[in-house]
Amino acid sequence: MSRSVILETRGLSKAFGGLVAVDKVDLSVETSKITAIIGPNGAGKTTLFNLVTGVYPVSGGEIYFQGKLLNNVPAHKRASLGIVRTFQHVHLFGNMTAVENVMSGQHPRSSYGFFEAALRLPKARREEEAISLNAIKYLNLVGLGTYAEHDALSLPLGQQKLLAIARALATEPRLILLDEPGAGLNTLEKRQLSDLIRSIREMGISVILVEHDMPLVMGIAEWVIVLDSGQKIAEGTAAQIQKNPKVIAAYLGEEVE
Amino acid sequence: MSADQFVQYLVSGVTQGSIYALVGLGFTIIYAVTRVINFAQGEFVMLGGMLSFTLARSAGLPLAPAFILSVLITAAVGASMYVLAIRTAKRASVVSLIIITIGAAIFIRGIAGVLWGVEPDRPPFFTGHESISFLGAYIHPQALWIIGTTIVVTIILHLFLSYTMVGKALKACAINPVASSLVGVNPRTMALIAFALAAAIGGIGGVVMAPLIMTSYSVGVMLGLKGFVAAAIGGFKSPVAAVFGGLLLGIVESLAVAANWGPFTSSYKDAIALVVLLLILLIRSGKLAAEEKAS
Amino acid sequence: MLALLKSKWQYPVIAALLVLLILIPFEGFMSQYTTLMIFIGISTMVTVGLCLLLGYTGQVSLGQAAFYGMGAYFSAVLSKGYGFNPWLAMLIGAAATGAFAYIIGYLIFRLKGNYLAMATLGLGIIMWILFRQLSQFTGGPDGMAGIPFLSIGGFVFDTPFKRYYLVWLFCLVILLISQNIVRSRTGRALRAIRGSEAAAESIGINVDQFKVKIFVLSAVYASLAGSLFVHHLRFVSPDTFNFLASVVLVTMAVVGGLASIWGAIFGAATVRILSEDLLLGLGEWDIAIYGLILMVIMIFMPEGLFVKLKEIFERLRLRYKRRGAEP
Repeated sequence: MSRSVILETRGLSKAFGGLVAVDKVDLSVETSKITAIIGPNGAGKTTLFNLVTGVYPVSGGEIYFQGKLLNNVPAHKRASLGIVRTFQHVHLFGNMTAVENVMSGQHPRSSYGFFEAALRLPKARREEEAISLNAIKYLNLVGLGTYAEHDALSLPLGQQKLLAIARALATEPRLILLDEPGAGLNTLEKRQLSDLIRSIREMGISVILVEHDMPLVMGIAEWVIVLDSGQKIAEGTAAQIQKNPKVIAAYLGEEVE
Repeated sequence: MSADQFVQYLVSGVTQGSIYALVGLGFTIIYAVTRVINFAQGEFVMLGGMLSFTLARSAGLPLAPAFILSVLITAAVGASMYVLAIRTAKRASVVSLIIITIGAAIFIRGIAGVLWGVEPDRPPFFTGHESISFLGAYIHPQALWIIGTTIVVTIILHLFLSYTMVGKALKACAINPVASSLVGVNPRTMALIAFALAAAIGGIGGVVMAPLIMTSYSVGVMLGLKGFVAAAIGGFKSPVAAVFGGLLLGIVESLAVAANWGPFTSSYKDAIALVVLLLILLIRSGKLAAEEKAS
Repeated sequence: MLALLKSKWQYPVIAALLVLLILIPFEGFMSQYTTLMIFIGISTMVTVGLCLLLGYTGQVSLGQAAFYGMGAYFSAVLSKGYGFNPWLAMLIGAAATGAFAYIIGYLIFRLKGNYLAMATLGLGIIMWILFRQLSQFTGGPDGMAGIPFLSIGGFVFDTPFKRYYLVWLFCLVILLISQNIVRSRTGRALRAIRGSEAAAESIGINVDQFKVKIFVLSAVYASLAGSLFVHHLRFVSPDTFNFLASVVLVTMAVVGGLASIWGAIFGAATVRILSEDLLLGLGEWDIAIYGLILMVIMIFMPEGLFVKLKEIFERLRLRYKRRGAEP
């Protein structure tokens, strides 16, 4: 596997009882590129995310991250390896302010524990400083700098989604998985989102996004993978995918966006 | 241990187990329909027993109406608990609901303590107290009532759930509250019925058990725990499995005490149920955790 | 919201309260409350642990009295029965209770919601049964008397006056430690778990391990409290650590506020004072009232009473400030 592939799956499968959600999917995602995964509802996109992030155990096949097998790595260890995700339903920490949410994202990049915290040892104080500074940096990156002290849930949905991305960026990932980041956003917000995703890519972070909004996807994706009923049916550039008869067929019967 | 003794212990185990079964039934019904673990379940049993004592002895009512009235009052308490405590709590978190039902249990227990004092009581037996001989052991007629009532309740419940409109609506709500609400089943009504039904069953258990096993205001906690174990064995989904679980627990308890080996002296009897509980929870927790993640 | 409370009134108020705290046991001031305050301090230590557990991980322990009792019995048995140095006994008790909580927590925390509550309830009752039954160690249902005082060098904590300061020293240290933990990366991780376990895991937080650690912390706090308790009362009996005791502890945490550290003092004090003064007069109504309190608070103010009161106070303060600003 070449250096330029950050994530690879071989024969990846996931079954829930009798229902096969992901069916022997082989894919490889290039480093520092924006890759989109699209497909009709129920195609298995979110399940695929959940497999990559470790939320679900794999039923079959392997996942490789930067060349190393990921299958048995527990979900909470994957962030420190450099994999982070955002959620369809945002999942912000509602009991915190915006900046506290982003500071939480620094968890895998800091290390002081109960003992140092309890006694406020210098190591703890030092790391807290760094965490605060970094959090402000990421908040500014997504344009939410002025909302730092606001309660996370007091922000409108569009900004909540940006906050979630800031939190994910705070984990200093190599790969970020965005699960329907555009859902519920208006046109202006979607444009801001596209710009943000491009600047994330400029930072050298690989992006995989699952999206239903075709114009959004086609506008930023450098590579598109199409899933249907758990299987990969096509992949290519945005232009290629739009003309692919298999893809069109899969979407027939779906509502036209 | 002779065969006679063994049967004696078995009978006592089945008798006790029947009570646990009834409590477990109540847990299962409420959990299946509302996803709430009702920590006050044991208190319904206590109420049934205490009320039947008061109505039969102090009010001088004949047994049958005293029985029925006790059960009805207990059912009303269950329904009130739902309306006043659970429903008012609206979107309470799981932890909040736990504490609310604990609060309700303690409240009911406290009121009972005030009304009836702390002394244990015993209502009159249903049909005298001549022990009947059975397979070499003696079985108290009240024990037969307990076992018989449990069987009858289980059968009636099964018929109710499978063949009546309300029963089927309850089942539907248990399996899929959203879908069933779409076809006109009101989940709040179902919850109300579930609580009232569970309380009634608990009350029946209390009424039928109290003459044999003295009752007092504090029996609710251990009974609730053991009924919970019964329901847990049944996976909180199947009433019949809960009954089986209750009987199993009763028999295991009884035989463990009978065997009298190691720490299982009668003073540790209660601990047995708890150990079984913890074992079941641990065994199931692996499955549970995986289920929860997937949902 | 936390920022709002860092008002300029905070430091003078805290200073005043500290002075009050220091002066209470003095004759002619409020020394009749010394013993009550000792119990409040001890209860606060246990309550803080529960507040952390409930408020920061959304988990409930219905058997916390078990850990309280373990600390008490370790101290009692080791110092009276085997002549250990009471401080050593306390340390051993805390370590043993912590280890026990670690094992149990590790096993139990794979359970969620309802099941954990039942498991800790069961555990609490098992411990109570053990306290009663292991009479060759514990003195059985009648308990154990003659437990020695704590002492440092020649200085013996033989009067309530002296023990008051010891207990409150422990209590304040524990509260400060808890506050440090909450304001740290660890505290954020705990709040994250409460906010969304899925999201917490996705940013690298080992949810299960944190829950276990908090559970262990709460157990250690409770154990230390139990040790202080027996060195004050010099007597220990199993019924102090029954199911109702665990319920009272949850009540204290709920009154104090599920995520509030300093509210733990409020919760412990309120419930203690209620049970000593009001409820004694009301006789057997105390149990019903605990139940009522639990229900009412959790239905109408699930974040806890103290926290709710703080909110109301803040709202009034802002309204007053706004009015004051108008010309």
